[in-house]
Amino acid sequence: MYGWRGRIGLLVPSINTTMETEFWRIAPEGVSVHSARIAGGRHGTPEELRGMENASKQAAQEVAMVEPDVVVYGCTSGSFFEGPEWNRRIAEQLTQIAGAPTVTTAGAMAACLLAGGHKRVDVVTPYVELTNERLKQFLKAHDIDVAALGTFDMLDMFDHAKIEPSEIYRKVREITTPRSEAVFVACTQLRALEVLDSLERDLGKPVYSAVQASAWEAYQAMGVDPGITDCGGLLRRLSEPGAVKQAPRRLRKTA
Amino acid sequence: MAANQGDAHGASYRVGLLVPSSNTTVEPEFYRALPVQVTLHTARLFLTQITPEAILGLVEELETQSRLLASADVDVIVLGATAPSFLKGAGYDREVISRIEKATGKPATTTSTALTRALRFLGAKRIVLGSAYDDKVNAIAQGFLEANGFKVVAARGLGMVDNLAVGRLGPESAYELARGADRTDADAMVLACTNWRTMDTIERLERDLGKPVVSTTQVSVWDALRMIGYRKEVPGYGQLLRSLAAEGRLAAVA
Repeated sequence: MYGWRGRIGLLVPSINTTMETEFWRIAPEGVSVHSARIAGGRHGTPEELRGMENASKQAAQEVAMVEPDVVVYGCTSGSFFEGPEWNRRIAEQLTQIAGAPTVTTAGAMAACLLAGGHKRVDVVTPYVELTNERLKQFLKAHDIDVAALGTFDMLDMFDHAKIEPSEIYRKVREITTPRSEAVFVACTQLRALEVLDSLERDLGKPVYSAVQASAWEAYQAMGVDPGITDCGGLLRRLSEPGAVKQAPRRLRKTA
Repeated sequence: MAANQGDAHGASYRVGLLVPSSNTTVEPEFYRALPVQVTLHTARLFLTQITPEAILGLVEELETQSRLLASADVDVIVLGATAPSFLKGAGYDREVISRIEKATGKPATTTSTALTRALRFLGAKRIVLGSAYDDKVNAIAQGFLEANGFKVVAARGLGMVDNLAVGRLGPESAYELARGADRTDADAMVLACTNWRTMDTIERLERDLGKPVVSTTQVSVWDALRMIGYRKEVPGYGQLLRSLAAEGRLAAVA
């Protein structure tokens, strides 16, 4: 059976064209990706982001049928917008519905920054001001300060995928200062994954992305070392001895 | 159709795939077969059992899920499910296509449509039908193919109704069934069910049977690439996907 090593149920905003592609790109032998789409608009308004909480439940039901080992709720603003409690509630609801542990992108963002011991980070986003404020509050609630924030300031979420990796690279270099310990590139629609390695080499500090952080939590939850060597130090560290916990595997009907 | 400029991942095209929710096979097989400049985007339709009743319910979600794919501005929408696109007989697949196209304004195809197109393209007239289905669904499949002008000289199914169980079968399942069901008077072998693992057996079967082998996943990939105007051979999955380089011959496909 496909996904004999691990099956990922991936919930993406319907307009998203980046995350499925990046998840498939890094999936190793024996890991499969099964997506479902979260209904919603393309403008990332507060109403649209709040609406994703409900719409994601149907997507979780759809993907539950493949008996996934982990479910990923793949939207950063759609999980940080109403704060940490809201994020936790989304994860719990989807875990319940899908019958598999669910990680959210906002949760993964906080987790990877905390795991790195970072207190002060720079952030690059495609968001408008209100959403950027909510992102800062979310990180603040985890005792993480945003030193500098650079934004592409685009309302249309579909268009976020049109930002080239090279533009993301330039934006990160443009806004980051020695005062920050790390950089996080938010939004699963931004094609940041392929420039993380170059950025870390050129800046000499950790650079994370929304898709990368989500994958990092997903592979940990599955207990699978993906052996990904070219998408930043965070994913590379999953291949260090003892990095992937040998927790007893969740029982499932299917091999 | 013109390529999208400045598109995600340097890709020229996006394929939107509608899959039955319990299907675990078609996404990995599509992803592996698609060229790097074509990205895959999926939406799911509820299905647990491959019985006629369950399959009809699935088609109702068609418009909703198609619109979700259209919001990602895909270049083509493929209903990557075999039984749901032939269940009501000849012409039903065209009805499904028109529902998707009306709801989204995007060009669409279905696995069953792709199958009849591919068989005509290959010049096959007499076929053997191998499937994962039970006799009831297999008979409907046979009826659909015959209504489309193909002679089914033999039909054999695995007798399965639990879709998830079909996804658990290894690649040898399709190979063995095809070897056992083949007839010398057939000019093509058809392997039906997109949750049945077929893609990695096609080359071997074509060599061992000495005739074209088409699987419902392979024909879906072929039709999607044909419709978006991809004109290079895709190696490793039988003569049909290699034929994508045959621009002149493809122009005649209707």
